[in-house]
Amino acid sequence: MPIALGDHGVGPAQSPPGVLRSLADYRGRDRERQEITARVGMLVFLGSWIMLFAALFFVYGSVRSRAPAWPPPDQPRLPVLLPGVNTGAMAASSAALAVAQRALQAGRHRACGAWLALAAFLGATFLSLQLAVWSGLWRAGLRPSGGTYPSAFYGLTALHALHVVVGLVALGMLAARARAGRAEQLGVDLWAWYWHAVGAVWLVLYTTVYLV
Amino acid sequence: MATSADVALAEAAQPIHPEPTSFWRRYVFSIDHKVIAKQFLWAGCAFLVFGGVLAMLIRWQWGFPGQKVPLLGDVFLRGTGGVIAPGTYQQIFTMHGLIMVFFAVTPVLVGTFGNFLIPLMIGARDMAFPRLNMYSFWTFLASQLLVVASFFTDLGTGGAGWTNYAPLSTQVGMPGMGQTLVIVALFVTGASSTMGAINYITTVIRLRAPGMTWSRLPLTIWALWLTAILNALFVPVLGAAALTLLLDRHFGTQFFIAGASAVRGGGDPIAYQHLFWIFGHPEVYIMVLPAWGIVGDVLSFFARKPHHWYRGTVGAMLAVTLLSALVYGHHMFVTGMSPLLGQGFMLFTLVISVPSMVVVLNWLLTVWRGSIRLTTPMLFALGTMFVFGVGGLTGLELGDISMDLYLHDTLFVVGHFHFTMAAASFTGAVTGIYFWFPKMFGRQLDERLGKAHFAVTVVGMTLVFGGQLLAGYAGQQRRLFDPYQYTFIQGLHGLNRNVSILAFVLFAGQLIFVWNVAKTLLGRARVAGANPWEVTTLEWTATSSPPPFHNFDRIPFVLRGPHELGDAEVKGLTGRDFAGQAEVLPAKSGTAAAGGG
Repeated sequence: MPIALGDHGVGPAQSPPGVLRSLADYRGRDRERQEITARVGMLVFLGSWIMLFAALFFVYGSVRSRAPAWPPPDQPRLPVLLPGVNTGAMAASSAALAVAQRALQAGRHRACGAWLALAAFLGATFLSLQLAVWSGLWRAGLRPSGGTYPSAFYGLTALHALHVVVGLVALGMLAARARAGRAEQLGVDLWAWYWHAVGAVWLVLYTTVYLV
Repeated sequence: MATSADVALAEAAQPIHPEPTSFWRRYVFSIDHKVIAKQFLWAGCAFLVFGGVLAMLIRWQWGFPGQKVPLLGDVFLRGTGGVIAPGTYQQIFTMHGLIMVFFAVTPVLVGTFGNFLIPLMIGARDMAFPRLNMYSFWTFLASQLLVVASFFTDLGTGGAGWTNYAPLSTQVGMPGMGQTLVIVALFVTGASSTMGAINYITTVIRLRAPGMTWSRLPLTIWALWLTAILNALFVPVLGAAALTLLLDRHFGTQFFIAGASAVRGGGDPIAYQHLFWIFGHPEVYIMVLPAWGIVGDVLSFFARKPHHWYRGTVGAMLAVTLLSALVYGHHMFVTGMSPLLGQGFMLFTLVISVPSMVVVLNWLLTVWRGSIRLTTPMLFALGTMFVFGVGGLTGLELGDISMDLYLHDTLFVVGHFHFTMAAASFTGAVTGIYFWFPKMFGRQLDERLGKAHFAVTVVGMTLVFGGQLLAGYAGQQRRLFDPYQYTFIQGLHGLNRNVSILAFVLFAGQLIFVWNVAKTLLGRARVAGANPWEVTTLEWTATSSPPPFHNFDRIPFVLRGPHELGDAEVKGLTGRDFAGQAEVLPAKSGTAAAGGG
C-alpha cells in the first residue's frame, strides 16, 4: 500500500454519505491506517537520522579537504579487502532480511525466523570483522589522538557500529518472536527499513573512508 | 471531499480509551498530549526563571562591574565576596544563552503548543505516537537535570559560549565535567526534540479530522508543522556536532583541536562552526515560526476578520523553511570563508526577508480595518508584530557583509537576536499562553493584570534590547567582562547602567504574570466557557474547556477554514459574527442541513 499523504481512505463513490458499511470492514481498514501512520513516522525518523550521518560525513569531508596529505605518510593505510568483505556481509544481511519479510507476508513464520536469524548472524559477522579491522590498525599504531585521519576513521566507524549493535539486538528479538509464531509484519518491516538504512550508510562509509 | 463515512473511519481509527485513574498514570507518566504539554510548560517556565536570573547577573556586571551582587551574591558567590569573577561571568553568559534557547523558550513554544494544539486543532484524539510523546518529555527533563548537575561539578558549568565553539569547548579550553555535561545535555535535548518532531509531523499528516484539508489548517498548525520539519532535519546536525565534540573531549580524537594545542595534524575548528550554524540558523526559525503562526491566528481572531491572504502566509512560511537552510553562513562572515560563498549567503539572507515581510504585511492587512478587540492576547500579538519588525530590520543590517564587518560581535548582534529570539519568540509564546490558558486550565486569566504585564514587557523589552542596539552601534563588544577597561566604551557606562536598571524592572514585571497565573489557578478565578474568545477553531468550537481526556466526544467533521469571522451571511443565519470550523449552520429555509459531525 503506497503512503497516501492526507488520504482519508474512502471516497464518496464507495460509500455514499449516511450509508455506513459493516463495522468489521472499518476495523480492517482502521488497522491498515494505523500501520500507514507507523510507517510515516518511521520514514520521518529515518530522514532525521540520516541527517546525523550526513553531518558526520560533512565533518569528515571538511577535515580531509584541509589536510595536506591523506593519509599522512607516516600513518598506516586502511585495509580495503576486509572491509570489502564486510560490505558483502552487510548486503547479504539486508537481502536475508528482505527474504524474511517476504516469508512473513506469505505467513511462513518459521522460515521468517530462520531468515531473520541469518540476517542477524551476518550482522554479527560484520561486527566481528570490524573489530578485527580496528584491532589490526590499533596494533599498527593508529590511535584516535594521531590527528584528523584516525579521528575520522575511528569516529565514523564507531558511531556506525553502535547502530549495527542496536539493529542486531532488534533482529535477534524479532527472530525469536518469529520462531514462536508471534512476529508482526509491521515490526519486521520497520526494522528492515532501519537495517537497510544502516547498510546504506555503511556503503557510503566504505566508499568514502576506505576506498577513496 | 470528505464524507460522513470518513468520520466513522476516523472514529474507528482513534477509539476512545478510558482515562487512566491512578495518579502516576494521569499526571506524571501520562501519555495524554494535554498533560505532556503542561509538563513542558512548567519545566520550560522554571528554566525561563533560571535563565532570567542569569541575565540579571550579566546586566549587573555591565551596569555595576566589580560591585557586590545584591541578594544573590551572598548565596551563590561567597567565594569571591559576592562579586562576579571573570570565569564565573563567562559561565553565566554561556548558560544564560544555552538555557534560554534550548531549555526554556523552545520547550514552551514547541513542546507546549505543539503538544497541546496539534491534536486539538486538527480534530484528533491524541498524537500519532502517544508513548513516544511521553518519552520525549522525560528525555527533555533528563537534559534539564544534566544542565543543573553541570553547576555542581568541580570546575563549574560550561563556559564556552552558548555556541560551544571549538577549540574553546574542548578539554584545552574548558576542562572539567561541567562542560561535558552541558554538551551531553544538548545531545539529549536534541533527541527529545527529534522524538517530538516525528510525532508532530506524522500526526498532522495522518490524523487530521475528515474535512480538515491542508488549506483549512490553522496557521498555528502550519507553523508548528514546518517547525517540526526543521527540527527533524537539523537537530541531528547539532547531535553530530555534540557527538564529535564529546569524542574530542573524552576519546582523544582531534576533529576540532587545532593550532598549538594539537599534538599533530590538527583538526578544523571551523568545521564545528559550520555544523553548529547549519543547525543554528534553522533553529532561529524553529524558535520564531511557532510565534508567527500563533500571532497570525490571534490577530485574525481579535480583528474579527479572516486572515489576509492565508495562502500567501502559508507559502511564505514554506519559503522561509526552505531558505532557512541556506543562510547559515551569515553567522560566519568574519570567520574566514570564501568571499564568493559569503556573497551567496548574503544574497539568501536578504532574500529570506521577502517572505518574512509577506508574513508581516499580511498581519498588518489582517488588522487593517478590523473590528479590533484589545484583549491581552491581542495586545501581545500586536507587540510581537512590533518587536519582530525591529528584529527583522536589524537583521538586514547584519546580513549585509560590509555592515557586518563593523557590527559583528558587538552588542548590536545581541540586541538583534534578542529582539527576534527573546522578544518576538517570548511574546509570541506569552500570546499563546494568554490565549489558550482558558482551554488548558478551564479558567480565564485576569485581563487587567494581563494588560499591565503587556505594558511592562513590551516597553521594557524595547528599551532594554534597544539599549543593546545603541551600545553595539557605538562599538561595545559583546561578552566583555569589564567593558570599561576600553576607554572608547567608558562613555557608554551610563547607558549600560540605565539599561540594566530597566532590565531589572522588566524582570520584576514578569512577577505580574506569575501572580496572575497563581491567582487564577489557586484562587476563585472566572471559569471559562467552551469558547470565551468567540473564535472558530476546533479546540474552541468542538469541545469543552478543558477538553476531556479523549478531546472530542465525536470526531469533528470540518466544513470550513480557520478564520470564518465577520461574515454577513453567517451573521444572518446564527446571529454571531463567527462560525466554528465544524459547525453546521442552520438552514436558510426548508433545505436540509448537509453533512454532520
